[in-house]
Amino acid sequence: MIVNLNWINNGGIVKQKTLAIILAVIVLIIVVGTVAMLGGKGGAQTTVTQPTGTTTSPKLEMTTPPDVLIIAMNTGDAVSLDPARAYEFTSVMVVNQIYDKLVDFEPPDMVNVKPEVAESWSVANDGVTWTFKIRKGIIFHSGRELTADDVVFSLQRVLILKQTAAWVLEQFVSNPDNIKKIDNYTVQIVLDKPVAPTFFLSALTFTTSAILDKQEVLAHQVGDDLGSAWLTDHSAGSGPFKLVRWIREQEIVLEANPNYWRGAPKIKQIIIKHVPEPADQLLMLKRGDVDIAWDLTVDQLLQLKGDPTVKILSAPSLYLAYLGMNVGVEPLSKPEVREAIRYCIDYDAIVNDILRGGAIKWQTIIPKGLFGALDKQPFAKNVTYAKELLAKAGYPNGFTVTLTIPTTSPQTDIAAKIQADLRECGITVNIEQLVASQMYEKYRKQGLQMVLAQWGSDYPDPDNNAKAFGDYTMKQLAWRNMWYDDYASQLAQKAAVEFDASKREQMYKELQEYILHNGPYAVLYQVLIQQAVKAWVKNFVPDPLNNYDLYKVYKSTD
Amino acid sequence: MRVRKLIARRIALMIFVLWGIITITFIVARVIPADPIGSILGPQAPPELVEKLRKEWGLDKPLYQQYFDYIINVLHGDFGKSIKTNRPVLEDLKQFFPATIELATFSLIIAVLIGVPLGILSALKKDSTIDYLSRMFALTGVSTPVFWLGLVLLYLFYYKIQIFPEPGRLSVGVQPPDPITGMILLDSLLRGKFDVFLDALKHIILPSIVLGFYNSAYIMRITRASVLEVVSQEYVRMAIAKGLRRRKVILKHVFRNAMIPVVTVIGITYGSLLEGAVLTETIFAWPGLGRYATQAFLSLDYNAVVGATFLIALVYSLVNLVVDVLYIYIDPRTRGALEG
Repeated sequence: MIVNLNWINNGGIVKQKTLAIILAVIVLIIVVGTVAMLGGKGGAQTTVTQPTGTTTSPKLEMTTPPDVLIIAMNTGDAVSLDPARAYEFTSVMVVNQIYDKLVDFEPPDMVNVKPEVAESWSVANDGVTWTFKIRKGIIFHSGRELTADDVVFSLQRVLILKQTAAWVLEQFVSNPDNIKKIDNYTVQIVLDKPVAPTFFLSALTFTTSAILDKQEVLAHQVGDDLGSAWLTDHSAGSGPFKLVRWIREQEIVLEANPNYWRGAPKIKQIIIKHVPEPADQLLMLKRGDVDIAWDLTVDQLLQLKGDPTVKILSAPSLYLAYLGMNVGVEPLSKPEVREAIRYCIDYDAIVNDILRGGAIKWQTIIPKGLFGALDKQPFAKNVTYAKELLAKAGYPNGFTVTLTIPTTSPQTDIAAKIQADLRECGITVNIEQLVASQMYEKYRKQGLQMVLAQWGSDYPDPDNNAKAFGDYTMKQLAWRNMWYDDYASQLAQKAAVEFDASKREQMYKELQEYILHNGPYAVLYQVLIQQAVKAWVKNFVPDPLNNYDLYKVYKSTD
Repeated sequence: MRVRKLIARRIALMIFVLWGIITITFIVARVIPADPIGSILGPQAPPELVEKLRKEWGLDKPLYQQYFDYIINVLHGDFGKSIKTNRPVLEDLKQFFPATIELATFSLIIAVLIGVPLGILSALKKDSTIDYLSRMFALTGVSTPVFWLGLVLLYLFYYKIQIFPEPGRLSVGVQPPDPITGMILLDSLLRGKFDVFLDALKHIILPSIVLGFYNSAYIMRITRASVLEVVSQEYVRMAIAKGLRRRKVILKHVFRNAMIPVVTVIGITYGSLLEGAVLTETIFAWPGLGRYATQAFLSLDYNAVVGATFLIALVYSLVNLVVDVLYIYIDPRTRGALEG
């Protein structure tokens, strides 16, 4: 039936024209917006070099308050700001602003440990009895003075609570009673067994060993939780900043501690705004609403090149990306085959074309910047030599292997590149993509043939990487790839307890050299940390340890 | 009285539905062959720690034991602790859900304000320019990726024209009011902080437009179809024939009858908005249920998954109940059907 609607149509309720215009305007806005955005993204010279705001003169104009540091960051990983629990990027970084530790590093130096709460320290000849002299005059945010009681309480607390990050301390001292007060300004720690001094000290720089205000914490104890619930979003420290509020997925606000023992910080307030989407962080930085964009992608950083109001800062992280080859799987069990694969991969193309400045080429198992790191990159793509090695191993016609990768970028692109590279050598790679949690579940059970994964160190000592990559008894990477090599295992263990620093360094170099050619890995690259900051932000240093000493940061347009 | 009886019966039924939802979600979440503890601790974690946490979270017990423990806790109002946030799930939901209610309500208002009038006009002026434009508008609405639209709006109105503030619920440095309901707009009014209210209002507009635009398309199409159907009914002709004014016919006869399917669609839309919208929440840094639930799923956070699913199911059931009650008032004919 055809409906005749003319009787209702006549006259109309709203003028047709008006409505048509409104609709047209909406469509126009969307179209113009897209064109404008694509124009900006396309990297046309005119839009990129144009500084935002009113800066036609070369003088920089600060668009954020001079004594407030505003950071746009994805803080979604944070679980708790209790130092005994904090283990994620955001929480560790924030905890480090609030608390002091016995000793600390001053990045970019990751080799020499500096005094902090401990003025000085010594280790007895037995190699296990450590004595720390506590600095006088450190005042907690509560106004109380920090003494040996607080140090003993804080470290014992970690061992009693046994939270996620406890192992960093627990691997040296498992019994809380072995941490003792000698007098008000002296603390003694007796380790379970002798270890290299630098190894123990560098582990103490991790935020697990932050010193808490004992009285303040115990005043908020619930049951026997030693204040853990309260400390989740409150602070009881002596650091340069104190916590004002943390609203999950919204913001973390810190306020300067005017009585800080090294002098009050120049920044009065730090606001860490939770911005999960990097594209938003970019817009906010460009508009000048934030001082630092924390998590920009490589593409976005490239867009900022040439913007005079922005600096891009970078430092090598402690993360290594590697290709793991399971020695328990037939052809990969032969050292020549693994060596051949190392010569098939085009490392330069991965670093330059896929990661575009987001990483540096690195092939040994201890990352650049750490004590004992061996700067040696012997592998480059050499198909002829790789084929020779394969023929020698009895696989002149190659073989087929499965490579398991997480579903995330850039791993997917890198896997495709490796697949193409290995095909040139006659090796057929089938790529299996798994959600990271499922991939690691299988990996932990030695259930993968080849894997593309990353490994990061929690504190800057070579031991963590040496044992993970070299010592199968740790049940970490060497074990997961079924590389039961006793020489590497024992060398990694011996180096961990070597007191002589130069001998220790030599041992790690030997271990790296050995794993380079005999191990089950092809280390692909070392990830760079990159952050974009406004030009007026001074003294901000990207920190591979993720501690970020914001105490020294200040803002100035000079 | 009859309405009350209906509500009572529906609530009784709801309990069974929710129990079913909890059971199914619980089982599905736990039989997935993946390792939640490992996924949270990351690749570095030593195996002893993984074991220790597995025990702490009760994941080493047999499944039926875990299930009964869980149900008993739920009956005591305890949804367990989230593995990811280390807090009771209920506390998490209390924080994230109000943000979603705010955004969902604003988005629904925008969707209805666009969808219903446009749908009616489009039907009344079938095959005119307005009709074509509205239909094109609706098509754009459903087919525009929200993520992209959100970015475009932010680029234009935040970065270029600068009339709207940055993503988030409040501007940098603005202190939220002490929570009463958790909804910043409401709390700031209750606490008398009008500057905070205005700031929050400015922040909610862009994400509401994105979600509202997307959802208006559906409402508009249903309204249009429904009005077209009603307009062709005999009683509408009759009303015109007996000399009633056109305006009156449209408002009293056409509109009211056409609204029945529209109310259903609005109800479903509100329900789906209250689930949270992970993409819009991400682009507008909105701390809502969608992001919470998605992260819970991705990190295999059992308790949070079941808790969030339970809340979403509860919301849907309640919205459906409200829609059914509304039917009774809009359309007396449904009374018998619903109660019979």
